[in-house]
Amino acid sequence: MKIMNCPLNGPRNISEFAWGGELRAMPDPNTCGAHEWADYVFLENNTAGMVREWWCHVPTSFWFIAERDTVSDEIVRTYRATEVFKDRVEFKTAPLPGEPGS
Amino acid sequence: MSIDPTSLKRRGFLYRVLAEAGAEFGEIGGAAVALRYRGSIEEETHKARHLAIADLSPLPRCGFKGNGAVEWLQSQGLDIGPDSNKAYRQPNGALAARLAPTEIFLIDDLGGEGRLSARLDAAWSWGKEKPRKPCGYPMPRADSHAWFALAGAESPAMFSKICGVDLRTHRFPDLAIAQTSVAKMNAIVIREDRGGVPGYHLLADSASAEYLWACVIDAMEEFGGAAVGLEALRRLGGP
Amino acid sequence: MIADNRLPEPYGRLIDRRRPIDFTFERRAYRGLAGDTIASALGANGEWLLSRSFKYRRPRGVLTMAGQDGNTLVQIGSEPNVLADLRPIAEGLAAEGQNYDGFLNQDRGRVVERLARFMPVGFYYKAFFKPKGAWKFWEPIIRNRAGLGKVDVHAHHGYFDKQYLFADVAVIGGGPAGMSAALQAASSGAEIVLIDDMPELGGSLGYARFESQGVRGAAVASRLRRRLAGHKNVTVLSNCTCTGLYGDNWLAAVAGQRLYKIRAKSVVVATGSLEQPAVFRHNDLPGIMMGSAAQRLIHLYGVKPGRKAVVLTANADGYGVALDLDDAGVEVEAVVDMREAPVATIMTRSVANRRIRVLAGHTISEAIENRHGEHLAAVLVNRIVGEGRYERGATIVGCDLVCMSVGYTPAGQLLHHAGARFAYDEATHMFQPAELPAGVLASGSVNGAYDLDAVLAEGIRAGWLAARDAGMPVTGSEPVASYDSGARDLTHPWPIFPHKKGKDFIDFDEDLQVKDLVNAIADGYDDIELLKRYSTVGMGPSQGRHSGVAAVRVLAKETGRPVSALGVTTQRPPYRPVKFGHLGGRGFEPVRYTAMHHRHIELGGRMMLAGLWLRPAYYGVPADRDKAILEEVLAVRRNVGLIDVSTLGGLDVRGPDAAELLNRLYTFAYAKQPVGRSRYVLMTDQSGVITDDGVACRFHDQHFYVTATTGGVDAVYRHMLFWNAQWRLDVDVANVTAAYAGVNLAGPKSRAVLSRLCSDVDLSAEAFPYMGVRQGTVAGIPARLLRVGFVGELGYEIHVPASQGEALWDAIMAVGALEDIRPFGVEAQRVLRLEKGHIIIGQDTDGLTHPLEAGMGWAIAKNKPFFIGGRSIEIQGSKALTRKLVGFIVDDKSAPVPDECHLVIHRGEIVGRVTSAVRSPTLDATVGLAYVAPAQATPDTQFEIKVAGGRMIRGRVISPPFYDPDNKRQAM
Repeated sequence: MKIMNCPLNGPRNISEFAWGGELRAMPDPNTCGAHEWADYVFLENNTAGMVREWWCHVPTSFWFIAERDTVSDEIVRTYRATEVFKDRVEFKTAPLPGEPGS
Repeated sequence: MSIDPTSLKRRGFLYRVLAEAGAEFGEIGGAAVALRYRGSIEEETHKARHLAIADLSPLPRCGFKGNGAVEWLQSQGLDIGPDSNKAYRQPNGALAARLAPTEIFLIDDLGGEGRLSARLDAAWSWGKEKPRKPCGYPMPRADSHAWFALAGAESPAMFSKICGVDLRTHRFPDLAIAQTSVAKMNAIVIREDRGGVPGYHLLADSASAEYLWACVIDAMEEFGGAAVGLEALRRLGGP
Repeated sequence: MIADNRLPEPYGRLIDRRRPIDFTFERRAYRGLAGDTIASALGANGEWLLSRSFKYRRPRGVLTMAGQDGNTLVQIGSEPNVLADLRPIAEGLAAEGQNYDGFLNQDRGRVVERLARFMPVGFYYKAFFKPKGAWKFWEPIIRNRAGLGKVDVHAHHGYFDKQYLFADVAVIGGGPAGMSAALQAASSGAEIVLIDDMPELGGSLGYARFESQGVRGAAVASRLRRRLAGHKNVTVLSNCTCTGLYGDNWLAAVAGQRLYKIRAKSVVVATGSLEQPAVFRHNDLPGIMMGSAAQRLIHLYGVKPGRKAVVLTANADGYGVALDLDDAGVEVEAVVDMREAPVATIMTRSVANRRIRVLAGHTISEAIENRHGEHLAAVLVNRIVGEGRYERGATIVGCDLVCMSVGYTPAGQLLHHAGARFAYDEATHMFQPAELPAGVLASGSVNGAYDLDAVLAEGIRAGWLAARDAGMPVTGSEPVASYDSGARDLTHPWPIFPHKKGKDFIDFDEDLQVKDLVNAIADGYDDIELLKRYSTVGMGPSQGRHSGVAAVRVLAKETGRPVSALGVTTQRPPYRPVKFGHLGGRGFEPVRYTAMHHRHIELGGRMMLAGLWLRPAYYGVPADRDKAILEEVLAVRRNVGLIDVSTLGGLDVRGPDAAELLNRLYTFAYAKQPVGRSRYVLMTDQSGVITDDGVACRFHDQHFYVTATTGGVDAVYRHMLFWNAQWRLDVDVANVTAAYAGVNLAGPKSRAVLSRLCSDVDLSAEAFPYMGVRQGTVAGIPARLLRVGFVGELGYEIHVPASQGEALWDAIMAVGALEDIRPFGVEAQRVLRLEKGHIIIGQDTDGLTHPLEAGMGWAIAKNKPFFIGGRSIEIQGSKALTRKLVGFIVDDKSAPVPDECHLVIHRGEIVGRVTSAVRSPTLDATVGLAYVAPAQATPDTQFEIKVAGGRMIRGRVISPPFYDPDNKRQAM
C-alpha cells in the first residue's frame, strides 16, 4: 500500500484517503457556453504525467491538494488548499432574461 | 454499592455490556461510570499495568471548532500550544487536544470533578455583539464520541492489531494524537501515560461504541487484557 | 512395509527425538517426531507418494522439501492444498492425498494418462465445442476433475487476524545473506524485522555442504544466530512467509492464522534461489527430487531420502549432495555429470576419493517406475552428444533416489512484485535482477551470489545500504563485496532431454511435456506471456518456479532467439497461496446502534440495515409482519406513533456565511429564511443530478441545523467541506449525526403526548406551526424540536443528545401509554410517506435523476447567482424531458402490488419503471411512484406495468399526495 503525506496528519496509508478529482477552474456558469460547461462537468483531462488533484483524509475530512505523477505513480508533493485558494470566492448574479449575454 | 445506570437520564453507550461483565457503577456528573468490576481493586490495577480498557464515555468532555475557537479558549484560561495533532495538558489534569488549527477536543480529568467542560459549555454564547467577535462554535463531543481509555504495557501491541499507525511508545510520544482508522472506524487516539504506565485515549463514533468495545476486547485476548473500572485507572497515578 | 528411514543424531536439527507424534495419512497411522513436516515424517516411514498430478493423475512425491512445488499438496480435513513439506505434523492430524479416485496408490483416474495423446496443448480451446451440445456432456465430467483438493462448504470460518508491524529495515529470508544483512543494518540502530519461512534461521547453512567436511554451514549459522539474538532491535518472524511486496515497502506476511502487514523504510530481499529440475522422461516419479531436497531431509529432519541413489548434476553442489548421501548411508550408485569435463574442486576430489562412480558428459534419459507404478526403480543413463541429445545405448542403473543438481534460478518473486527488472546473464546461464526500485535491495543468491563468502559479504553490503536508505546513521562508505560470486559453472544452459515418447515434464503442476510447449509455439504463441496463457505453463500452484526458465529455453530454441531477448513472465503476489481467512481477518465491519437500539429489541423490533445503522423494520413476529405494519400505519393515522429517526444525518452549519453556503450547495434560497423555521433542502451535483435532501432548521441567524439522508450524510459533509476549501466562506460545518438521537412523534394525538413532557415551548399550532423549529426541553432533556411532515400527520421530530436518547424514548413511551402510543418502524414509515407522495432519494431517484424530471422544479430558486448543479439544470430545462416521475394508483384491486423496478411498458417498449409501490391501508388501494414517458405524465393517463410473471397491470397517473391532498393534517 502506498503512503500519502497528509499536510495535517502526516504520512498515512493511502487507504485513509479518498480521491476528489483533478483541480480545475470552474468556468463562469452564467456566461460560458453549454459545451464549455459540459466539458467542465463531464470530461476529466486524464493526463499521463503530473497532475494536481484533490484528496481527502477521511478520518478528519481534511481536503488538500496532491501533485502526483500518473505514469510513475509517485506522489510528488502534498499541501494545504489555502496555498492555491487564498481568497473568498464570489459569484456574480446571473444576468436577467433579455439582458445581453443571456 | 452500585447504582442503576437507567436511574439517570444521561447513560453510557454500553452500560448493558459493562453491567453484564460485572461492572459496579457510580455517579459522576449525572451519569453512571463503571468504577470497578468484581474482584479486588489491586488485581484490577495490576491488569491496568499490563493491558486494560475502561469506558470513560459517561465522563465530561466538550469541543470547540471554527474561527476564533482557540483564541476564545485561551481567553478562558486554557493553555493551548501551536501544534495540531498534539494534546495540551491543563493545570487541573484535563487535556485540550488540538485536532486542527481551529479545532479543540477537550477531555476532562479522570476525577470528573474538574468541571472544565461544564464551565466552558456554559460560558460560550452567540452574544449580542455586531459584528460578532469570532469565538468558534461548541461541539457535542460527549455525545458524538465514545471515550475509551487503554492502559498497560501491551497497549501498543494490542493497537497494532486494529490500527495501521505506529503507536509504539518510542514512536508515538506522550500527548501525541493520531486521527486515523481503528477497526475500520474513524477514531482519535491520544497518548497519555498514567503513573509511568503507557496509556491511550480512544475516541470514536458513539453509535459504534459496542462494536469498537468488542473489537478491542477481542484484540486484547491474546495478551490477557481485560476491562477495568475508572478506579483502577486512577490508582495508576497521575499523568 | 513401514520402513525406518530415520538417521541418528546429529542429523535432524529441527526434530525433537523425545517427542513422538502420531498422525494419519490416507487413514493409515504413522508416527513422526515433533519438528517433522508431514512429508518428512512420511519419508521417515518410507512413504514417498504424497499426491497425484492434476491432469494425468501421475504419482507425485517430494520435490523441493521447501514448499516450492505443487507435488506435496494434501488435504487436512476441510483445508485443501496444504504444503506437506512445510506443514508440521501435530498429534491426531489426519491428512489425505489429493486428485485421485479410489485409493491414492491405485488411482482409477490414472487411465487418463493413456489418453494423453488425445489431449494436446490448448485442448480446452480446441475440443468440446463440436458438435453443438458437446459441452453440456463434457462439462460435469470436467468440473468433477477440475480444481485442487476438496472445498468443504460447511467448514466454519476459523479465527484469523491481522497485525501491523513497523520496521526501519525488513529483511526477507533468514539464510546467510539475510542474517548478515540484518546484523549489518541492526548495528546502525535500525529496527529490523527478519522474516523467514522455516522454524529456525539459517537457510542453506542448515543443510547445504560448503566444503568437503560439511561443517562450515552449521558453524556460520550458529555464529550469526548468536549475534542476532544479541540485538534488541531485531524482531525475527520464523515460520512466516512473506507473500507480497507492495508499494512504498509494504509487505504482507503470513504466519499461522495471522496476516502481518509490515511497513518498512527499506527492504532487503534475501530469498535465495530455487534449484531447477532436469527434464527427461518420467522425471516426475516419486524418488526423483532436488539435491537440496535430499539435503534438507537428511540434515533438517534426519530422514534418509532413499537407499540407492543416482546424483544427476552439472555443478559442484551435486558432488556435495553425493557426499551427504554417502555420509548418511545412502549408496551412491553414480554421479551423472552433464558437463563433458567437470572442473576439479575439493568436492569432486572427495567424491573420487570415496570411489563413487562419476559419469561425466552423461545424462539420465529416462526414469523407470517400479512394478506398483508409484516409485522410481531405475534410470537409463546415456552419453550426451549435443544440446538435448544423447547416444543410443543406455546404461541401466537401479536406484530408488535421483538427486537433481543441475542449476538454479533466483527466487525473485518479491522483487518482481516491487517492479524489479530481470535480465539473462549469458555467462552464468541465469536470470539476475538488473534494475531495482528505490529502497529495495537484493542480497545473496537471489542477487547472483552463490559462494558463501560472497553471500556473507553481499549481506553486509545490502544491510549497510538498507540502513542508509532507511535514514539511519551509517559509518564509512558502501562496503564492496570483493569475493567471486561463484555463480559460474552452476547452472546448465540446457538440462532438457526430450524423449520421443514424451512424459518429459517441464511443468509438474500442469503435466506439461516438452512437446506441449513446442506445439504451442508452433500454434503461434511465440511470446513468453502468450505461451504461458495458452499452454498454462507456470500457472499451477508452484507458479512456474521450476518451469519458467525451462519454458523460456524451449521458446528460445524453437524461435531461434537468445534467451536474453525473451525475458521471463511477470510474477505477481501472492508468493504462496493466501487463504481468504487471512485476507478477511477479523472482518471489521462497524455497525451503528442508535441510543434506543436495545429498547427496539426489547419491544420485538425486527432490525434491518440502513447504511451501517440498524433500524427496526417493524415490531412483532415475522409471521405477523404485514399485520404489524398495518397496525403501525393505522396508529399513526388515527392515534399516535413513535419512530426512531436517529439515523437521519445532522449537520450544524454555523457562521456569518452559513446561509450563503446553503445557497450555493442546495437548490432553494436560504438567505431570507426566518429563525425558527425550517425549509426543504435539495442537493444536486455538478451535473444537476439529485444527490440528497433534508431540511434546514434555522436556530440562529448564523446557525442552520441541516438534516441529510441516513446513507448520504457523510458524503454531504465531505462535499460541503470540499467546496468551502475553495470558496473560503466564513462558515463552519460539523457532522453531528451521532451526537443526536431523534424520534418522530407523529399522529393526531402527538401534541397531547408531547405537552405532558414539554413545558417550556408553546406547542399550540399558532405559536409553533408546521415547519417551525424550536429549542426547549422534553422530559427535562435539552431538545431541538422540528415540526416536519414526512408521514403527513401532526408530528414533532425531537432531537436530543445521544446519551439521553434512551431516557427520552422511555419518557415518551411512558406518558404515551395513556394515549395508546405505538412504536413504528421503517416499513410503516415507507407506507406513510408514500401515501403522501414523498420521494426517497436513492429509491425514487437514480444516478441520472434531475429535479425537473422528478417534478421538483418548485424547489429550485430562480434568483440566485449560483448553486452547484444550477447551470446543468438550466441546460436540461432547455431540452425536452425523456421521462417523468409520477404518482400512480392501481384501480384494479385484485392486481398484485408491483415491485420496485418493475417496468413501465408503452407499445412494447420500456419507457420507465416503478420506484416505489405499496398497498395503502388508508386509501385501500395500491399507490406508487414510477418513471413514465413524458406523454404519459398527465393525470388520469393509463399506463402498463409488467409485474412478476410477465403479467401486465394498469396504473393511472394521479398527482400526489394520495392522502390528505390539501396537507391539512400535518398542519393541525
